[in-house]
Amino acid sequence: MIRYDVIVIGAGPAGLSASIEAAEAGMKVAVFDENTRPGGQLFKQIHKFFGAKEHKAKIRGFRIGEELLAEAEKLQVDVHLNAAVIGIHDFNSIAVVENEQVSFYKAGNLIIATGASENMVPFDGWTLPGVIGAGAAQTMMNLHGVLPGKKVLMVGSGNVGLVVGYQLLQAGVEIAAIIDAAPKIGGYGVHASKVARTGVPFLLSHTILKAEGEEFVTGAAVVEVDSKFQPIKGTEKHFDVDTICMAVGLSPMSQLLRIAGCEMKEMGGLVPACNEYGETSISGIFAAGDVAGIEEASSAMVGGRIAGAASALRDGFIMQGDFEEKYKALKESLNQLRQGMFCKENRGKTDMTATEEGIPLSNSLLEKGYLLEKEIIKFPGVKKKAGVHPIIECTQNIPCNPCQTACKFNCISIGENITALPVVIEDSKCTNCGMCVASCSGQAIFLLNEDSEDGFVSITLPYEFLPYPKKGVKGIALDRSGNRVCEAEIIGLRTAEAFDHTALLTMKVPSEFAMSARFFTL
Amino acid sequence: MAEYLDRSSDIGKLVAMPDDDMIICRCEEITKGEIRKAIHDGMWTMTEIKRYTRAGMGLCQGQTCSRIIKGMIAKELGVLPLSIDDNTARVPVRPVEVRVYGKGIN
Repeated sequence: MIRYDVIVIGAGPAGLSASIEAAEAGMKVAVFDENTRPGGQLFKQIHKFFGAKEHKAKIRGFRIGEELLAEAEKLQVDVHLNAAVIGIHDFNSIAVVENEQVSFYKAGNLIIATGASENMVPFDGWTLPGVIGAGAAQTMMNLHGVLPGKKVLMVGSGNVGLVVGYQLLQAGVEIAAIIDAAPKIGGYGVHASKVARTGVPFLLSHTILKAEGEEFVTGAAVVEVDSKFQPIKGTEKHFDVDTICMAVGLSPMSQLLRIAGCEMKEMGGLVPACNEYGETSISGIFAAGDVAGIEEASSAMVGGRIAGAASALRDGFIMQGDFEEKYKALKESLNQLRQGMFCKENRGKTDMTATEEGIPLSNSLLEKGYLLEKEIIKFPGVKKKAGVHPIIECTQNIPCNPCQTACKFNCISIGENITALPVVIEDSKCTNCGMCVASCSGQAIFLLNEDSEDGFVSITLPYEFLPYPKKGVKGIALDRSGNRVCEAEIIGLRTAEAFDHTALLTMKVPSEFAMSARFFTL
Repeated sequence: MAEYLDRSSDIGKLVAMPDDDMIICRCEEITKGEIRKAIHDGMWTMTEIKRYTRAGMGLCQGQTCSRIIKGMIAKELGVLPLSIDDNTARVPVRPVEVRVYGKGIN
């Protein structure tokens, strides 16, 4: 039987991070993953991540996956792929199916980072081909290059539904609507806004009734629900769609921890009771990432690092003092990610009415996915100024600050508190470089040039759809809700390596639409 | 064992529902009606439902339907889903072909 100092189960963001941390300490590390490719869900994430620099903010998920993998390989971590761990025996040995054979491996420390699986809700017709998980849609598009369908109904308005919805649009799929049984959009407002401005309607307080079709999905019926989630008769609506995408939450895949005998607790599914280092009730068995409680990839990476370092401390590979120093920094990084309106304590809260700064929250944003013009002007990222200047439509307290460092001319300030709303500094001078527009993971920054031509203004917007409209092309400017507002001419298209595939599209519109035109279509 | 299990309590008669033919466990093709009948036959735990109906014994090993079945038991018994214990987690957690086991252990 082959022995390692630490065995990590799952090569996603948490598992790879844990293995890197342990290998850096000098441990002999193996990572097992049942998939053909490592990286877990990271290689499906083509969007830019939120957070601060240490959380790899504004880097696209799959690039983070590539970075982690390269780091793990450099540290000579043994990455076993197509290797399904089927059990844990005698506390520290694992049974793995590899190359059509059961093998056993042993280690002094096990770090379990098996992630989560998608939830389903049953409804009439839910077993028809064409009803798929949002994660499955992402796998088809971003790993295999296959369109899941031509027209999709998205069920669930959390970040998964919003992000996958946007990716479907990027792939050329039409989205009939995004529905959610809750009365408010569950994910980040900026994610909802970038979908809404393309014209996708949000139907909150709506649930799916039926997937229509005999052999496969040919349509979907939805119905409005009351405050007790009961269908309201007479509110049924029909959509012609060939795909119904389910983004209704995740459940931790914690079976291995239960088999090992770890003490479990209920937290949206069974998760292990862990100490602050991710160690379970069994000494030497750690859990990190979604399996220890559903969060997101950024915190999974930090959690993995903590567990990796803790296992190194446990076996004497690092000294107590070094560990404490490391832990302090990682804990601080984790705390940053766990702040703001969407943190665990605020989840499901319905009585939040204002931001930390005391600015009223937009109900339109929470119910329809877009801000109203009269609301947006109240935010500190929106100032009326001569010449070119950024308009930052970031209106919720989320842990993210790349825009602050993207501007080398100190036009944008967030300050020490990572969840604070970005402020456009009054007497700063914007150079029109566009770095803030490209660095905003929420695509919420626009450049407005108020004195470009008589009666016209130019608006620069982040654009991630192919093919790019060419300079000189005339089309239609859309507002935040995706409604047509006026004719627009493309007067600039910038693609720089530093923008990392976010093109900066500049359109010319009549000046009365300066604060309403936010998207372009042909 | 969970506290809700007072086997003498009356959960009422099994009333047919219009969506009783909806499949809940898609691996084993077990319907909502079959699971509801099992509950009314006295199968009040996840383990009992599994052994009585085979729901959760298929390829995905209950990865999809466990949560749904838990909700159904809770509804029929009038308790919170949180009060219902999960199935016992067992090796192998992923389906393994018998021929793989047949090769012995490496």
